[in-house]
Amino acid sequence: MAKRMKAAERRASILAVAKVLFADKGFHAVSVDEIARRVGVSPAVLYQHFASKDELYEAVLDSLSAPRETYVEAALDGPDDFASVLQRITRVFISRVDEDPDYFRIELLSVLEGGEVANRFFASRWQSIVDYIEYSLNELVREKQIPVVNERAAALLFQGMIREAIYSKRILNAERYKGISMDKLIHQLLVLFLQAIGYKGPGE
Amino acid sequence: MSHVTEELDARGLNCPLPILRAKKAIAGLAAGDMLKVLATDPGAVKDFEAFCRQTGNELLQSQSAGDGFEFLIRRQ
Repeated sequence: MAKRMKAAERRASILAVAKVLFADKGFHAVSVDEIARRVGVSPAVLYQHFASKDELYEAVLDSLSAPRETYVEAALDGPDDFASVLQRITRVFISRVDEDPDYFRIELLSVLEGGEVANRFFASRWQSIVDYIEYSLNELVREKQIPVVNERAAALLFQGMIREAIYSKRILNAERYKGISMDKLIHQLLVLFLQAIGYKGPGE
Repeated sequence: MSHVTEELDARGLNCPLPILRAKKAIAGLAAGDMLKVLATDPGAVKDFEAFCRQTGNELLQSQSAGDGFEFLIRRQ
């Protein structure tokens, strides 16, 4: 029992230290040796928990996302219309970011590093929401509930505005948005987004 | 004898679409009726376990099928 707990604690320490280092320097600039040294274990011990730096990075990204079940709960917990579901899952996304700003640092660094690292970030963080928007808009257009719209551009619009809100409030700490809560800002952005795509639904 | 009342093809759809579709499909069923769901989202197994837990419906079956998964849910 003690041995198992110690292993679990050690795994948690490795994840915590890795997260701080990745948030500080990005994926490529951080070595397994450095992570191990900061945790106080040998690289061999680290590799017992994570087979590679890649795997460790994935685990850090996973730990930064809200658990899948939280998204399921949000999707089910209220009206089914596009706007209401989008609002609920966006709230889950934002609340997780708010709990841990390191997430956003890691994302910004991954974008600058480019390549596979950035793709992995998109897949782990944004893809679900972006796919949901594209697919739903496609359906809404087919059902003539909204005017014809480029779903891909619309999903990018959404991703961009949410990212900018996070950046302005949580990284820049911009003076001009200090007077408005993150929750209210996101709500207003969602309203603008829905107006932009011509959505007139029950969630308005 | 148990039979599938409705089949939902959610292949190619990712979370949260399969569970949203399932919620809609199940709403149209009577208690005891069954919904069969086909999905390819790698997270679908966990999603449908959560779905049944949260909606109080019974997950009768959860298995691999082809290049995806097949779920059998009984409306409670």
